[in-house]
Amino acid sequence: MTEDEIRKEEQIIERSKKDPRAFGELYEKYFDRIFNYLYRQTDDEDTAGDLCSQTFVNALNNIGRYEPRGFPFSAWLYKIAGNEVNKHYRKNKGKKVFSIEELKVRELIEQATEDWDEELVNRLIRYMNELPTDMIQVLELRFFEDKDFKEIAFILDMTESGAKMRTYRALDKLRANFNLKVKYDG
Amino acid sequence: MGKHEIRLRRQRMNARGSERYRNYNAVLRQHGSEKRMKQVTRIFTFFLLIALLVLIFMVVTRWEKKQSVQPASKTNTVLHVT
Repeated sequence: MTEDEIRKEEQIIERSKKDPRAFGELYEKYFDRIFNYLYRQTDDEDTAGDLCSQTFVNALNNIGRYEPRGFPFSAWLYKIAGNEVNKHYRKNKGKKVFSIEELKVRELIEQATEDWDEELVNRLIRYMNELPTDMIQVLELRFFEDKDFKEIAFILDMTESGAKMRTYRALDKLRANFNLKVKYDG
Repeated sequence: MGKHEIRLRRQRMNARGSERYRNYNAVLRQHGSEKRMKQVTRIFTFFLLIALLVLIFMVVTRWEKKQSVQPASKTNTVLHVT
């Protein structure tokens, strides 16, 4: 996202503080992304739909307190969405679910190795089940949402170096266990 | 086993799937009602605080009055005994 686009978003946010209808433009822009992020973390369309509405209502309720930090407005929405997911799991006392698209997993594996099969994908999923949840959260934002470390740090309330460290540790483990050539791109 | 479960989904969610949940008017309505509720709660808390302060003031005034009356009656009692 360019500086100019970020500035444009900030103008919409300023307008939204006075007129909530102006926020509709950002709603339309980010709805699908936030919905998919929530769907991936709940594996239930209705729950994702409810949490998505609540995310945007919360964003609108607190728009007056929003402070630009130099990255896209979506980072703030992801943070609110993450809080809504945590609230949902605390309330229902269930096991956190990460429902990831097979196609995306294959794309990522194809980037890392040429020879892979169904068994490798299954082994990878089993292995990811054993990783700590906070590590999975970082990997999800990095590889499924294409967020940079600065944004990940803001969304998950941690330092940028902490986000990098978690990603690199997870990738190290993946390289060691699966012989994958995963790139260390920031 | 970790505290999460990874599920592999065969199909990617398409735009049509999320379309039936897209409703900005509903978001605006909920925002409006939550804003009103917040205002009502704020006003109620304000009046509750005022009522509490008035109550504290009344209790303190009564207690002070009682305190100023009590020493006089005590002196009378002492006079009766002697």
